[in-house]
Amino acid sequence: MKPARFKTLQSRIFVFFFLLILATQLGSILITSTLGFSIVNKTLGEELETGKRVFIRLFDQNTAFLTQGARILASDYGFREAVSSNDAETIASALDNHGGRIKADLMLFVGLDGRVVSGSTTARQAIDASQLAWLSPREPQRNATALIERINGRLYQLITVPVTAPLPIGAIVAGFRIDAGLAKDIGKITNTDVSYVSKETDTGWAVHASTLSGAPLEALSQALDTDRITTDAITDVSTGSGVYLSLRTRLPSPGGQESVAVLQKSLDRSLAPFRDLRDKLLMLGALGLLVSGLSSLAIARSVTRPIKALAEFAQKIAQGDYSGKPVITGQNEIADLANAFDHMSTEIASREAHILDLAYRDTLTGLPNRAMFHDRLQQAIHTARRLGKPLTIMLIGLDRFKYVNDSLGHHIGDLLLKEVARRLQDALRRGADTVARLGGDEFAVLLPTDDMGSAHKVARSLLDALEKSMTLDDQIVDVRGSIGIASAPLHGEDITTLLRCADVAMHQAKRNSSGYAEYDARFDHNTLARLSLMSELREAVEHDHLTLFYQPKVDLKDSEAHSAEALVRWIHPERGFIPPNDFIPFAEQTGYIRAITTWVLNEGVRQCAEWARMGLEVNISINISARDLMNADLPDYFTGLLKQHGCDAQRICLEITESAILDDPGHALENLQRLDAIGCRLSIDDYGTGYSSLAYLKRLPVSELKIDRSFVQNMASDPNDVVIVRSTIDLAHNLGLHVVAEGVENEAILSQLCLLGCDQAQGYLFSRPVSAADFHAWVQAKTWKEQLRLARQA
Amino acid sequence: MKCSQKGFIMALLLHAMTGWSHTQAATLTLQVTSASGTGIEDAVVYLMPGKPPGRPVQTPTARIDQINKEFVPLVSVVQTGTRISFPNKDNIRHHVYSFSAAKKFEIKLYADTPSKPILFDTAGYVVMGCNIHDHMIAHLLVVDTPYFAKTDANGMLRIADVPPGDYSLIAWYYMRPDRNALVMPLSLKADMTQAISIRTRSSD
Ligand SMILES: [Cu+2]
Repeated sequence: MKPARFKTLQSRIFVFFFLLILATQLGSILITSTLGFSIVNKTLGEELETGKRVFIRLFDQNTAFLTQGARILASDYGFREAVSSNDAETIASALDNHGGRIKADLMLFVGLDGRVVSGSTTARQAIDASQLAWLSPREPQRNATALIERINGRLYQLITVPVTAPLPIGAIVAGFRIDAGLAKDIGKITNTDVSYVSKETDTGWAVHASTLSGAPLEALSQALDTDRITTDAITDVSTGSGVYLSLRTRLPSPGGQESVAVLQKSLDRSLAPFRDLRDKLLMLGALGLLVSGLSSLAIARSVTRPIKALAEFAQKIAQGDYSGKPVITGQNEIADLANAFDHMSTEIASREAHILDLAYRDTLTGLPNRAMFHDRLQQAIHTARRLGKPLTIMLIGLDRFKYVNDSLGHHIGDLLLKEVARRLQDALRRGADTVARLGGDEFAVLLPTDDMGSAHKVARSLLDALEKSMTLDDQIVDVRGSIGIASAPLHGEDITTLLRCADVAMHQAKRNSSGYAEYDARFDHNTLARLSLMSELREAVEHDHLTLFYQPKVDLKDSEAHSAEALVRWIHPERGFIPPNDFIPFAEQTGYIRAITTWVLNEGVRQCAEWARMGLEVNISINISARDLMNADLPDYFTGLLKQHGCDAQRICLEITESAILDDPGHALENLQRLDAIGCRLSIDDYGTGYSSLAYLKRLPVSELKIDRSFVQNMASDPNDVVIVRSTIDLAHNLGLHVVAEGVENEAILSQLCLLGCDQAQGYLFSRPVSAADFHAWVQAKTWKEQLRLARQA
Repeated sequence: MKCSQKGFIMALLLHAMTGWSHTQAATLTLQVTSASGTGIEDAVVYLMPGKPPGRPVQTPTARIDQINKEFVPLVSVVQTGTRISFPNKDNIRHHVYSFSAAKKFEIKLYADTPSKPILFDTAGYVVMGCNIHDHMIAHLLVVDTPYFAKTDANGMLRIADVPPGDYSLIAWYYMRPDRNALVMPLSLKADMTQAISIRTRSSD
């Protein structure tokens, strides 16, 4: 439940708002910056124009002021007197003296011919003698003139005013140095950077005074050289320390010279407040971004948290937990959704309960069904494992249920099952006990105990409850059950194992007619080895590792006929002899018995035919399992075998156990009739272990009855068994059946059987099951005749 | 200067006056005109004899008034040694001065007639101004001869009582005070009437 972080709703909302705000902030900053730049650019241009106007006005005023000063000086009587003296020294001293009054940096007196007559000390220092003559000749005029002129590499504003005495006698030239101080003063007033530059025809531009310094000054010099800023338009000059907007104004200059004042304004300095604003905006923006980021995160969370809660709630529902309620407060859409979820959860819960009821309950009896029993058992196993509490299960199978169903009808069968369910429930009044119907006639009980004593008691009481006659639709029906018991953790700790153990025990109980049986590992062939056993068994059948042994059936009535029961033996190529009990029950359980039976039938018939050809007449009995009896193809296959080997059907006797017939009497009867039609003989094996009445057997096309060895073996010691054997023989004879006794192990038994009129006897007394060759030899030896003689004499 | 000398165009009409003995005084009547022929006012003409004149200064004093912030007359001519008084006819004060080489003087702020007239004892051009009123200018030519006169509004002048003899006739005009307007020899035997043409501007 953790997809890529960016894909969650929360991060989407967050990222969307974050980007939106970021874009807005950036946009406003961008606009502010651009707007700031254009405003500053425009304002600067205007300021420069204003600066230029101010500068011109200032220049004119200054010129007028200086001119006025010079005029006053020129009209000073003493000065005029001194100048009139025509004495250069006197004139020089007057120039020094009076020039000082008007703070002129240099003073010259120029004659009417335009020649410099004399100069102040500063002038003489600034201009050497040769340069005095270099001064451009100027006609002393009535009107004053003011020119910007370069003298000896320095820039001066030269104010020329005539001197009259009272007629014009010359002019004084007052020079005012244009220096950094002036530039600074003018710069302050014009609020621009001011640079005075000049150029002569044969020289390049030179900066004489400037408020600039450093990189901007150098940039200005370079720009001057390219004549870029000497036009009248505003230009911009890039310097190392930013861009300057520049505007020039021409200054009055003498011929051959050009002087210009360049006004500049630093774009950067003017942009500084905007940059400051931008920085503040950036800070504000960052702050806003942080705040809005956090709040959008909060909003995103407030939206997604209930969604997450709902998702968790939905997951709980998916896991089947309907107990919770989505904790979502408020009145918004999500709260509505939560309520809808809650409602849905309730509906699902009730519907599921209904479905569960259908799924977990056996509709016929109302008992829990197999699925529910599994669940309860699973829970019980969990609890048992966690708390160390033991538990016990019982599997209850009804004996002869199919018989009841077949003979009395399904309706009675259903009533019977209901009655059984009711009785079992009545017998188990303890709430903790669970009774379930697993299917068919199979019931199960779950007890929270492993005390075998009490378990046995419960089993006994259950059996007792079942054994009372029931009246179903006016019919009296007797029912008996077999119970298998298994406990956890004694026999297993999971459902499968426990159920299998109980099943094994139940079949054990059924086989032994003991009513109930506790699981006993000795009877359980259902182990891990089964898997390999299966494949090995398959291999044994395919590669003829099986073989048939023959146990003689001795005719007690002195018949010459030879009979033998064919018993399958497995000679494993590696493990050697494998007892039949190790694989026959397994084969019966798995159904593989059909393949074995097929093989046995083939071999038995082949052997019978072979002996017949050798002149040895042997009636061979072959065991057919319950599953074989269900096989509809068996009669045809058997017919084919007889034909194939050229065997007389009369020579073959098929032995069927009593229980095999009772499992599914309808089917069994049909197959038996077909086999009978073929001409072979049929025999009931292990008679006495089931509950079939002889009356029922009479309806079957059988000609032989084999009394189970358990009755025969005890005949010598138990008079009851003698009674049973005798009555069985008598009844069988009455029904025209041939009687065979199994398990004849000593002469005493043989003697009794002879007395009781038993037809044939089979047992170790005569011979164990032996190979075909040994059986042949046994027949030749005829030892049984002597045994029979002795038995009759006893 | 050569060019200015060269620029001089002189037209002189001489009418020899016979019948006058050299012992008898002669009168020179002269008309001064510009190149265009109009008479020039306030032009000064004086005659310099070959030998120093024996005649003493005939007018030992002269007067230059200040009337309505103007010097009156504008142009004066006197013989060396003449004393000139500067009576102030205005009711404001004037401060007459001269930085001219021929005579430097000043009469500091005064009203009425200053106590002492100024003695002009050196021949030459003296330009006078008022230190208070820049536009006030008076031109004075001091000559070493008693034979001088200045033209009237028609450019006419008369120099009387001149002993016959050889003279240098010199014309001077205040508009171009730095040089003589005309210098020419004049042999005066008897009364003579003549006309001269001069350049009036320094640029001419
Ligand atoms: Cu005055």
